Amino acid sequence: MQNVTQFAADNNIFSSLGIDWKALVLQIIAFLILVFILGKWVYPWLMKSVDERQAGIEAAAKATAEAEKAAEANKEAVAALLAEARKEANEIIGTAKLESANMISSSEQKAQKAAERIAKDAHEQLEKDVENARKMLYNDTLELVGLATEKIIEKKLDKKTDSELITAVVKTTGVVK
Amino acid sequence: MPGRLSRRSIARYIANGLIEGTHSKKILLKQLAGYLVETRRTKELELIVRDIEFALVEKGMVQASVISAFDLTAETKKALVAFVKTKMSAAQVNVSHIIHPNVIGGVKITVPGRELDQTIARRLTVLKTRFKKA
Repeated sequence: MQNVTQFAADNNIFSSLGIDWKALVLQIIAFLILVFILGKWVYPWLMKSVDERQAGIEAAAKATAEAEKAAEANKEAVAALLAEARKEANEIIGTAKLESANMISSSEQKAQKAAERIAKDAHEQLEKDVENARKMLYNDTLELVGLATEKIIEKKLDKKTDSELITAVVKTTGVVK
Repeated sequence: MPGRLSRRSIARYIANGLIEGTHSKKILLKQLAGYLVETRRTKELELIVRDIEFALVEKGMVQASVISAFDLTAETKKALVAFVKTKMSAAQVNVSHIIHPNVIGGVKITVPGRELDQTIARRLTVLKTRFKKA
């Protein structure tokens, strides 16, 4: 009773403060109902979404970290590959230089041999030509000497000389072919 | 048509006729010509003449052909006949002389199967060919 009295007294206080306690109670009840509804259906869904988003973000961060780690590892592999490739390239260049030097040397030797052979052939041909020219000159000289002798004898020989010649031939020739 | 005789038989007949004088040369030649025409063997004439020459040589008669650049003197002809007689062991030598200025000088004697070329033209040819370098 005392409470009611007290409440009444308080009600009077609410009234004096301009607060409608009935409306207040209703509002409290409505608030609680709202809290219940939010707690039952809205908050779990909201929290679930937030958790999922957070998990996604963490997964993305983790993937990023792994990607960075992989990139780092790849960087090292690439560097190793580059070094290997550089080494192989150097070896290839060295081999190519050696081969080209050998080829140049071989070509020089071949060219020298060819030049020597050409010079030798030319020399031999020259000697042959000279020899042929000498033979031709000799033969021509022989022809000329023959012709000159023929002409001289034709002019110098007469019937008497010829008879003497024939007689000498007959006397000296011991063999009739 | 007369039977076919060998060249040797024909040559022997003509040679005997010439040496023995049973027929004149003209008759012998007519007989030979007639026989060759009749038997169509005129292409063999040169061979038969050569065989006659050989047949005459066997009988001691030599037909010698002499070529020189000038006419031969009597002495030279005599020397040539003697030369041929000696070399061919012939009893009789008939010389047919041909003047051929191309031989320049000297003499070329041709007897059946043999030849002696001592002309200046021949000597010059030998000089030009033997000593020529190939």
